[in-house]
Amino acid sequence: MTHPAAASQPATPPALQAIGISKAFLSGKLHTQVLEDFSLRIEAGELTLISGPSGCGKSTLLAILSGLQKVDGGRVLALGSELGQLDLRALERFRLQHTGFVFQGFNLFPALSAFEQVELPLNHMGLSRDEARARARRSLEEVGMAPRMKLRPSELSGGEKQRVAIARALAKEPELLFADEPTSALDAANGQMIIDILHRIAHTHGTTVLCVSHDPRVVVHADRVLAMEDGRILSDRRTHVPTNDSKVT
Amino acid sequence: MVALARKTLIYEWRRFLPAMLAVGFAGLLQLLQLALVLGIFGSTSVYITGSSADVWVGYPGTQNVGSGRTIDPDVESRILMDPAVQRVEPYDWVDGDWRGPHETGGISVFVSGIDPSPEGLMFSKALSPSLRARLAEPDAVIVDRSVLGQLGVNIGETATINGHQVTVVGISSGLRALGGVNVLTSLATARQLDGDPSDNGPTYLVAKLHDPEQADAVAARLRGDTAFGPYTTWSARDFARLSVRYWMFDTGAGAGVLFLAGIVFLVGAVITSQTLIAAVNGSMREYATLNALGVGVAALRRVVLEQAFWVGALGLLGAGLLGVLLMLLAHSQDVPVVLNVPAALACIILVMGLAAVSGLAAMRSLRRADPATLLR
Ligand SMILES: Nc1ncnc2c1ncn2[C@@H]1O[C@H](COP(=O)(O)OP(=O)(O)OP(=O)(O)O)[C@@H](O)[C@H]1O
Ligand SMILES: [Mg+2]
Repeated sequence: MTHPAAASQPATPPALQAIGISKAFLSGKLHTQVLEDFSLRIEAGELTLISGPSGCGKSTLLAILSGLQKVDGGRVLALGSELGQLDLRALERFRLQHTGFVFQGFNLFPALSAFEQVELPLNHMGLSRDEARARARRSLEEVGMAPRMKLRPSELSGGEKQRVAIARALAKEPELLFADEPTSALDAANGQMIIDILHRIAHTHGTTVLCVSHDPRVVVHADRVLAMEDGRILSDRRTHVPTNDSKVT
Repeated sequence: MVALARKTLIYEWRRFLPAMLAVGFAGLLQLLQLALVLGIFGSTSVYITGSSADVWVGYPGTQNVGSGRTIDPDVESRILMDPAVQRVEPYDWVDGDWRGPHETGGISVFVSGIDPSPEGLMFSKALSPSLRARLAEPDAVIVDRSVLGQLGVNIGETATINGHQVTVVGISSGLRALGGVNVLTSLATARQLDGDPSDNGPTYLVAKLHDPEQADAVAARLRGDTAFGPYTTWSARDFARLSVRYWMFDTGAGAGVLFLAGIVFLVGAVITSQTLIAAVNGSMREYATLNALGVGVAALRRVVLEQAFWVGALGLLGAGLLGVLLMLLAHSQDVPVVLNVPAALACIILVMGLAAVSGLAAMRSLRRADPATLLR
């Protein structure tokens, strides 16, 4: 069932591409080289999983590919734009138009209802009020939270909160969705539901989903699994045939 | 548009309460301080504001009503010659030493000798016609309700001023003085009380005009004639201002007010900004998430500033309500408090300025809302 990634290079341009990037942190006298001459392609419309031991640089890689962190060297291409050439405002605009995020913490505003959490970022995208509300409702329906959309975070379970957080990212209709340990704060059943939703988003919306996780259940659902260690990709395998790419056999 | 700032303020009101209280108390302190100062120093010009004279004539260089010197009595005819003038009357100011019937020791009093006739100008707004008429009796005086205890007298009792016996025939209200006690009497009695033989003219001449609007013009016109010895003229408004300004600035009280205002602003701003910063910090991860989703830092700043605005507005509302109650209480206790539009405006500006400064300080802490910190 698994194929080496190199053997099935698709002709379509990648959604995300890192070319020879390096990243180091300097905290006090301690110099940590997290990534060095690191290259990677992430294909569009797939659920790609990055897994690996703690501290190997997964979150750092995600932050770089999503434009939240600058690289020390190398180039990052996201949807064809070179992120290194965008200033802070342009990066914000790029993220507003093209990316969604799901974090380990749900980071919902305590004062807002589930519906308002989802509507809030849409207000800033220049959508009309009606369009924003319609989108918010649709994406809450998609994650099965429509019946509870009037509730505040304090009235929701952890899994429900994470579904609201996903709906918040999804309502923007982004081409790129980044998730960092989205299931690690949840129990098995809720974690499974989140994975199902992420998988469905990749396949029904054609969204490129890049997910960092230790969770073995995610591995089963991912189209592609990257095992990372010490800032390098150790293995790169496809768990099953991507439904939207007929060239891969 | 989801009203994040307002909804957070309402839902987490406990978090914002200290800021609202700080703003409210700063506003209240400022309001009461100003009202007291205006009330107390306003009373230094009660001789002018409580009378219906439009133009005052006195010794050149006089800085407040209490420090006048006598002028030539013939100036009166000069003033009357002006066609705009309807009526002129003398006003005598005599510094006296009061000895009450009971053990009170010597009290320094300001004797105002006024024309007791019904059309008299001096204190026409502070005395009822019947009360004023009682001054026509020889050696009759009127004292203020607020100083009865201090003077140790009551109506009908006698006392001495500068060794001359007087009888209290009436009690006025709202005629407090600063640094002494006002005693009202007739011009004739005042002259008898004046121990200084060199005083052979009125301290002031006050004039009523046919058209009060012309006070400034007439005052300017009457000035500068030296044929009758030194004198000068002021419109009533200018003289009142001069008097208040003298007390405010030459006594250092104004500097005290400004100093306290500065302290109040500083303390209020520190508490308010700290509370707002804590509130921002409490939502830092959520703000960072919005920023990750592409909501600009400028938009997040607006949320914080809006919260600061509401904190200021609500604090102001509380301060206003409490301030009105306290002012009413002060009035009922004869405490001189006065609030005018510029003073109220100054309080509003101070409070909203305080909220704005605090909001800006809190906005700075938003810089730590770095979405990269959410990925760990
Ligand atoms: N802001 C920072 N300052 C200093 N060092 C950092 C910073 N961010 C990350 N690092 C270091 O970079 C390395 C990689 O961190 P990263 O968060 O990418 O790991 P990770 O693979 O996501 O680990 P985990 O699975 O535990 O989340 C770690 O050694 C960490 O100490
Ligand atoms: Mg991590």
